[in-house]
Amino acid sequence: MHAWLTLVAWLCSVSLVGAQTPSAAGHQFFEQKIRPVLVQHCYACHSEEAAAKKKLKGGLLLDSAAAMLTGGDSGPALVPGKPAESLIVQAMKFDGYEMPPTGKLSDAIVADFVKWVELGAPDPRQGKKPAVAKREIDLVAGRKFWSFQPLTNVTPPTHAKIPASAGPIDRFVLAKQLEHGLRTNVRTSKEKLIRRAYFDLIGLPPTPEQVQAFVDDESSDAFAKVVDELLASEHYGERWARHWLDAARYAESGGYEFDGFRPGAYHYRDWVIRALNADLPYDEFVRMQLAGDKLQPNSYDGAAAVGFLVAGPYPGQITAKTVEGIRYDQLDDMIMTIGGSMLGLTMGCVRCHDHKYDPIPQQDYYGIAASLGKTVHGARSYDRDPEATRAAQEKHRLEHEKFVAAVKQFAATELPKRFAAWQKTELPKQPDAPRWQTFAAVEADAERSFLKLLPAGVIAHDGSVTPGTTLRRRRGAGQVPSAEVYKIQVRTHQKNIAALRLDAFTDKSLPQRGPGLNNDGSFQLLELTVTAAPLDPAAKEKPVVLKLKGVFAGAEDKDQPIAHAVDGKPETAWVVKTTAKKDNAAVFEIDGGLPGFASGTQLTFELRFRDQGLGRFRLAMSVEPNPATWAGDFVAQHLGELRAILAANKNQLPPTLHEAAVAWFSPFDAEAGKVYGAMQTHAAAAPRGNLTEVYTTIAGGQDVFLLRRGEVANKAGKAEPGVLQVLSRGNANVTTAKVSTATSITKTPSEPVDPRVSLGEWMTDVDYGAGPLLARVIVNRMWQHHFGEGLVGTPNDFGAQGDAPSHPELLEWLAGELVREGWRLKPLHRRLLLSEVYQQSDQVDPANAKIDPSNRWLWHHKPQRLEAEMIRDALLAVGGTLDSKMYGPSVLDDSPRRSIYLRVKRSELIPLMTMFDAPEPTQSIGERISTTVPTQSLVLMNSPFVRLQAEKLAQRIRTSGDPSLAGAVDRAYQIAFARSPSNGERSQMLAFVKQQQAALGADTPANADKALVEFCHVLLCLNEFMYVD
Amino acid sequence: MFEHPDLILPSRRSFLRQSGMGFGSLALASLLQGQATAAVNPLAPKPPEFPAKVKSIIWLFMTGAPSQVDTWDYKPELQKRDGQTLAGADPKTGFFTTSGKCLKSPFAWKQHGESGTWVSDLFPHLSKHVDKMCFLHSMHLKQNNHAPASIELMCGTNRPGLPSLGSWVTYGLGTENQDLPAFVVMHETRPRGDDQIWSAGFLPKTYQALTLDARRKETIDNLARDAKHDDAQQRAQLDLIRRLNQEHAAQRPTQTDLAARINSYELAYRMQMAAPEALDIAKETAATHQAYGLNQPECGTFGRQCLIARRLVERGVRYVQIFAGKGVGGDGSVNDVPWDCHTDVEKNHRSCGQYVDQPAAALLGDLAARGLLESTLVIWGGEFGRTSDSQGAKGRDHNPNGFTIWMAGAGVKGGFHFGATDEFGYKAVTNKVHVNDLHATLLHLLGLNHERLTYRFNGRDFRLTDVAGEVVHDILA
Repeated sequence: MHAWLTLVAWLCSVSLVGAQTPSAAGHQFFEQKIRPVLVQHCYACHSEEAAAKKKLKGGLLLDSAAAMLTGGDSGPALVPGKPAESLIVQAMKFDGYEMPPTGKLSDAIVADFVKWVELGAPDPRQGKKPAVAKREIDLVAGRKFWSFQPLTNVTPPTHAKIPASAGPIDRFVLAKQLEHGLRTNVRTSKEKLIRRAYFDLIGLPPTPEQVQAFVDDESSDAFAKVVDELLASEHYGERWARHWLDAARYAESGGYEFDGFRPGAYHYRDWVIRALNADLPYDEFVRMQLAGDKLQPNSYDGAAAVGFLVAGPYPGQITAKTVEGIRYDQLDDMIMTIGGSMLGLTMGCVRCHDHKYDPIPQQDYYGIAASLGKTVHGARSYDRDPEATRAAQEKHRLEHEKFVAAVKQFAATELPKRFAAWQKTELPKQPDAPRWQTFAAVEADAERSFLKLLPAGVIAHDGSVTPGTTLRRRRGAGQVPSAEVYKIQVRTHQKNIAALRLDAFTDKSLPQRGPGLNNDGSFQLLELTVTAAPLDPAAKEKPVVLKLKGVFAGAEDKDQPIAHAVDGKPETAWVVKTTAKKDNAAVFEIDGGLPGFASGTQLTFELRFRDQGLGRFRLAMSVEPNPATWAGDFVAQHLGELRAILAANKNQLPPTLHEAAVAWFSPFDAEAGKVYGAMQTHAAAAPRGNLTEVYTTIAGGQDVFLLRRGEVANKAGKAEPGVLQVLSRGNANVTTAKVSTATSITKTPSEPVDPRVSLGEWMTDVDYGAGPLLARVIVNRMWQHHFGEGLVGTPNDFGAQGDAPSHPELLEWLAGELVREGWRLKPLHRRLLLSEVYQQSDQVDPANAKIDPSNRWLWHHKPQRLEAEMIRDALLAVGGTLDSKMYGPSVLDDSPRRSIYLRVKRSELIPLMTMFDAPEPTQSIGERISTTVPTQSLVLMNSPFVRLQAEKLAQRIRTSGDPSLAGAVDRAYQIAFARSPSNGERSQMLAFVKQQQAALGADTPANADKALVEFCHVLLCLNEFMYVD
Repeated sequence: MFEHPDLILPSRRSFLRQSGMGFGSLALASLLQGQATAAVNPLAPKPPEFPAKVKSIIWLFMTGAPSQVDTWDYKPELQKRDGQTLAGADPKTGFFTTSGKCLKSPFAWKQHGESGTWVSDLFPHLSKHVDKMCFLHSMHLKQNNHAPASIELMCGTNRPGLPSLGSWVTYGLGTENQDLPAFVVMHETRPRGDDQIWSAGFLPKTYQALTLDARRKETIDNLARDAKHDDAQQRAQLDLIRRLNQEHAAQRPTQTDLAARINSYELAYRMQMAAPEALDIAKETAATHQAYGLNQPECGTFGRQCLIARRLVERGVRYVQIFAGKGVGGDGSVNDVPWDCHTDVEKNHRSCGQYVDQPAAALLGDLAARGLLESTLVIWGGEFGRTSDSQGAKGRDHNPNGFTIWMAGAGVKGGFHFGATDEFGYKAVTNKVHVNDLHATLLHLLGLNHERLTYRFNGRDFRLTDVAGEVVHDILA
């Protein structure tokens, strides 16, 4: 094929340039038309010279014939003889690529290139194949990198100078210190230790009483008791969830165009707090976040856990033009977050090319992308306690029987005489019925919504459920569909019904005032079906579906008229657009009329909508002929029903109908109204279940393709779900191109396993999957948050570009210990805190400092500045105003609740938080930067919030304990710093208070109070307040 | 202050972290030059890599995106072919659907200045300054909706979470005046995209913008001392705080950030006085007020912002960005994207033009008169351009494929036109300038090499210009 084309090209070239030899002619054409253009417009970015200057783009060289045929990242630059398949021609035509980037070259030049390629691209340039040939990733070598290896058993070192009593963690640390000739530090004071432990584990300062109790406890396990208490405290989850939420780039809004708020996003935050407090094993913690929705389908917990996947930014405005790129951005967000937070790997760059430093080929990236392919952002509602709902519904049903019994009782005893009296004196005075009689619905049920009955027969929308939600209703549990269906049951004893009528009302409670529930106030009624059945279930007559004819509509579109609602075709609809914005009505004539059944008639209206239904509506009937009008007054059907019953029964109320008559009689008789009303009220209070909207995954998603250079227009085949090969072991498949799913590595599934479930299994599999790295990354995070810096200084990068561990054996031992402890974090916290290295002093030994100024070998404890949330929480705690209510929707910073509950809206972050370095929640963050800027000092000096806490603290120290000024100063120190002041500090403070008081003038109690506030304010501004030793 | 001076050594990584420095080679280089200063204050002025032409930038951001063919990019062919099919109209250009038919500019065009620059009659004041302006007619970017494009224009790519130009500049150069913030953003209604447009991204918060909201008369939170205590009281407090903090720091000699924090109270105390002074436009003459149009309802707010901008750069502020608010014309556009002329370009641009014309011209004149234009670069432009074909009868849709911005002042040629769109002003075709190129050029003017201004985050050295960007040397003076 190729040879044939070359021949054709050769023939063309002959005819083109006449008598010259083909190659000479072709080369002449190249020299005249092609080379100058390449030199002028392409070489700057696509030549050996550009490569030498590090300006090479796309891995593509255009300065030799061989290089052009080899091509760059996107494949060969040209296919001789085939201009249409040659990327260089496509790019010059601005078809897909746009080259050169400074602007399209003239049509004549492009035509020259087309001709040249047709000629077979004759090219005399020698040059070798590109020196920058694509780097092939060597997985076998890659697996030898320290962090990608399997977990190894490490024994804590022994040494003559290491005391026998030393625990394993201390052994590793001491061995390094001995190796470097460092002296061991002393333990820190008990006051400092308890303050350190409180902030580290629960993020709050200890109270003076807690400090005192610890200081007074001389038992050997005094500190262990404190640690155990703190690990058992619910505040532990609030503190440690914040660390994980940084890594999970948690926020409650979409960012981008409108930064749409996600009211159900906070459930993920709550789930993390709960999971940590319950000490959910970390592997399960990871699996739930990757696939909780699949592992526990239809559960609140599962839905909340995968809030991890969907916490990233997502544009608010998407059009057909942008949807595909956005889809891959979204996958990229998930992959980068999974990579950074769980594996400590940088994955974002692999979207466009093989990882430059780590053994991660593009194909692995797209394998994970395909595993996430069916993961779509959205909201769903969940019943957080379906069992409780079921029990409540059952209880309600039993209770309801009492109300029914009361109605029966009334029907049997009271009704006959009361009705007879009324029939005699009142009935004759009642007016004749007008044309329209409104139905009082017996039952109103809907797929997506709850409906309630209002006076005058109006049926109103009473809240919707997100499609996809599993909901338990009277008819059983099921998934809520996206298309609404209303089913309304009514009854009548009247005969010869000529027409039915549907009124749709506007109301300020509806979107755009309605009448529809769609966002724009519209509705689309696909089909209205009315079935008539005899009221007496024993009756022999068969139910009939009424033949309806739409004869009138208040508003209709001539293309989508009312007739579409009764044409029997579910695909056509009566569409009422927003422009209507007023009450609407439709009249349907019953073909041939409805004679009515002898025992009375039950009518079931089924209204099928395209999406959402009606917000407020009413059903009515007419027994008069010529119904094609919607004029005329309304009256409730009750009187008509009573008259019809009497007319059919010789003006008597037959005992068989006593019970039914209670309803019809209720408007006219106080007692009947009471007993019937009570039954209705109770029925309306049927428990629905406590539905909560959760921002989670919803159905959807598409196939994922491998994208060359990460470009959606440059697809290179469908990607199959897969994992990182370098972290997969023990299976021959892992070196081949496509790893199907992780499950195939560990076991053969009997049925298809969701790829995200497989991803979670692979991620946590210590023997065959990423488990070893997962364990190393999380124990490093724990170390980092307890010691200020990780054993690996780059918590989100365990790859070649990251730091090497300072104590590799210790890291390995900790990772192994985590796995041995069943992946539970709390035992590991306990081990870390009970180590001597954690409890050592912050004191600096000058000799040690000379040897190891950076404290790599951990010879002293480094003071840490409190993180933003802790600063605010500590201020509230010290002021005594902290509200310890847990969980629930987020709050703004005027609330005294803990900062973990502050709203995280991407475009409007809480200034106090960002000012003290709370990160941008857009990418996984493993480590917060700690900055020092004057605006922070301004907050402490001048903000009303800090001032208020100073005032509250002043109140606390004034009103409790030692009433002397010195006593108050001591107490303030104990509250703020967990210690008493030194004599020097006390005297300075007393002098300051007195000086302030003097400056305020008269020696009054009010001025004394004010001076104390100034003193408290000073305490809150001190570095000691926001640093923990 | 320290007992062990030899102990003030960087701890493994925390030293760099505390001082707000990453491993960027440039930042590291300057850090090594002035280690002690940088350790105490990461905003201390850092020498540029090579001599800088520009010290300060003021970006007048035309929120919502003005139309190039109705402002600075005159296209006689478009005027001629009103209503005719626009050759090459691409339905993927805009955000909505356009007609594919040419819509001529409803404005009158005239040539101005010695450069003979064509300007529509929207800018009677600015047109007097065309010989100071350097026009980039071939700007283009990728995103075709406001927030993503604004993010791309300020941060280099459209993904949120990256630092904006102002933060990068502050990171690279620090600031001349420690008593004022280095990077100031002014807005009225917050532009669509909000904080994301001026984000410090993953850079330390040291480099984040201070925002001044015109609706709150540029009040700075927490700047004013509590009304309950006077200066003497506060001074006494601060003196005590300093004394006790010094005692605290002396016991923790390796903790360098404690010294920075002690210093930051003094900086805050000075800022408390310096910032109100900088923002106090009452100190300006009546003539200045009049020149900036302060008393005119149609441009008074923008006038005040421009005047404040001048006062800020005069005092050494590095980077000021003003997001133009909404004119009083009322044309159906939304407050957070005032120039967004989907329905009626004439009505919209008339009102938006009035809003910015006189104040922006006054700013140029004022800066020039004070000699500040020799070290300040003023940039005028929005997040993209508009379509040359119509949307509806009289509107224009978004168009990221070609638009004009101009710069005036230090380091760029005046009365100069660079790049061009096609004959309809629809697409940039010659000497195209991408956002990355613009950023590379701006950093160059500030004395920074865009390839060397990097910050290590999550395992990668990030640049404002991502992996692209060429300095547009042709426009440099």
